[in-house]
Amino acid sequence: MAAGIAASSPVVFLAGIVTIVVIQAIPSIRFSGWHFLTSLTWNIGNVYGGLEHEHGVTAASGASFGSRVFIVGTVASSVIALLMAVPVSLLTAVILAYRTRGVVRTILSTLVELLAGIPSVVIGLWGMTVLTPWISTQLGPLLSRAGGVIPYLRGPVGTGMGLLASGCVLAIMVVPIITATTRDLLLQVPTLYREGGVGLGMTDWEVVRHICFPCIREGFIGAVALGFGRAMGETMAVLMVSGNAVNLLPQNLYSPISTMAAFIADQLDSALTDASKMAVHALSELALLLMILTVATNLAARLLVSSGRWRQRRTGVDAP
Amino acid sequence: MGKSISTRGVCAWYGAQLTLKGIDMSIDANQVTAIIGPSGCGKSTFIRCLNRLHETVSGARVEGSIRVGDVDIREIDPVDVRRMVGMVFQKPNPFPTLSIYDNVALGLRLGGIRAKSELAQRVEHSLRLAALWDEVKDRLYAPATALSGGQQQRLCIARALAVEPDVLLMDEPASALDPVSTHRIEELVEALKGTFTVVIVTHNMQQAARIADKTAFFLNGELVEFGETTQVFTTPSDKRTEDYITGRFG
Repeated sequence: MAAGIAASSPVVFLAGIVTIVVIQAIPSIRFSGWHFLTSLTWNIGNVYGGLEHEHGVTAASGASFGSRVFIVGTVASSVIALLMAVPVSLLTAVILAYRTRGVVRTILSTLVELLAGIPSVVIGLWGMTVLTPWISTQLGPLLSRAGGVIPYLRGPVGTGMGLLASGCVLAIMVVPIITATTRDLLLQVPTLYREGGVGLGMTDWEVVRHICFPCIREGFIGAVALGFGRAMGETMAVLMVSGNAVNLLPQNLYSPISTMAAFIADQLDSALTDASKMAVHALSELALLLMILTVATNLAARLLVSSGRWRQRRTGVDAP
Repeated sequence: MGKSISTRGVCAWYGAQLTLKGIDMSIDANQVTAIIGPSGCGKSTFIRCLNRLHETVSGARVEGSIRVGDVDIREIDPVDVRRMVGMVFQKPNPFPTLSIYDNVALGLRLGGIRAKSELAQRVEHSLRLAALWDEVKDRLYAPATALSGGQQQRLCIARALAVEPDVLLMDEPASALDPVSTHRIEELVEALKGTFTVVIVTHNMQQAARIADKTAFFLNGELVEFGETTQVFTTPSDKRTEDYITGRFG
């Protein structure tokens, strides 16, 4: 009995959270409709003025809720994070799996995993005090000059808080996830396959490129998706370096943005002042959207990672 | 054409454990040399020294001199050694994500052959050498893992032959195969004689007697006896060889 309750508690929690978010989001879905996905404007209305009634729900007058800025900010910062994190993670994983042994491997692996354990607010603090000034004075002007014809590289750099800074802090947070997963996948590639390549006169790099990587391809895509899910859901570090743009799409790599998660954290306080509660409902809908995105990404990621493992079993050679 | 191999004082370690205790051996070019001996006698370790695969294992170490032709393989890049000295493993290990064709073509491509016609020609030639062509010519682009175990092993032989090594090492190539597949591998080894130097490790003495020109008997990391196969099996000069081949141990 007790074991049954304990075992089902994660399911109960999950169901409870989903139910609450959905119930909270319903008035906003009725109020905004598709407009919620397409509009750029997020305005909780005049909370001290009158109320307006629309589609059978009540909101502060002048209220309008559109999440496109936050969807774009979330996806763009996460993609930038992956562009930086994927090559680094892959290289690190290859080195951890094949170029280090014994104590050195243990120490390096532990260090990578410790990186995942740094509280995101600490990374955010680093981002605010070190990274954004550096982007503002050094990296930004450099990229802006070097960018030339590439549209998103040009333009004013500003404070350094924005898309690039968000991408950077997110990259630091997803590198350990992608690295650890990829390293484990690489270690599962049977020695027999690798020796087949080595015995044929392939260099270490050729063995990784032509034998090991194809073996783990699905799993690796899954690892990247896992990182993507993590990046989209990250709140605090992004909130601290994103520049908190509202009602404005990013114009270049340095533009201020807001992500869905950071915006919810940022706006909840003022949303609670809305007597019609519609601002909170709208944030709930944003939360629901974020949850759907991250859960779907994670689900796809997990399926890919496990299908990568399954494929190795199917080929019938025992892992070392 | 194959090259001869000569080893002087080859010692090999796994960590602190000495598995080869000074092997001096001269292997003739273009002949089949079998290495027999009980499990753990160092016979696999020995051939893994001949293409410098032994040293890729964590904690493993080799000493002594190994010459293939007139090259000391311990003084050149291991990648070059392995292009000169091919290897077939105990379990078939075709590259699982590649097709039959690409399994053979990969080594050639990495060796710098780009022209499609030349690739196709050399892949076909290698598959014919490995007596696999007739069975796979209609499904060259099927995954290599779709082949039977025996076919996979012949594919691995084709893959090793494609890059035209001077020496082919075979580490119990038939031990994971059924009798019919084993027979085909043995026929194949016979056919390679004269073109390649073949060194084959086997735990099957009948197999050694059937296919090898010369046979070496290893015991506890030492080379006990090495001579013409018929002589080793009929009039062994060492008591331990006699005990082993008559089944008193091992």
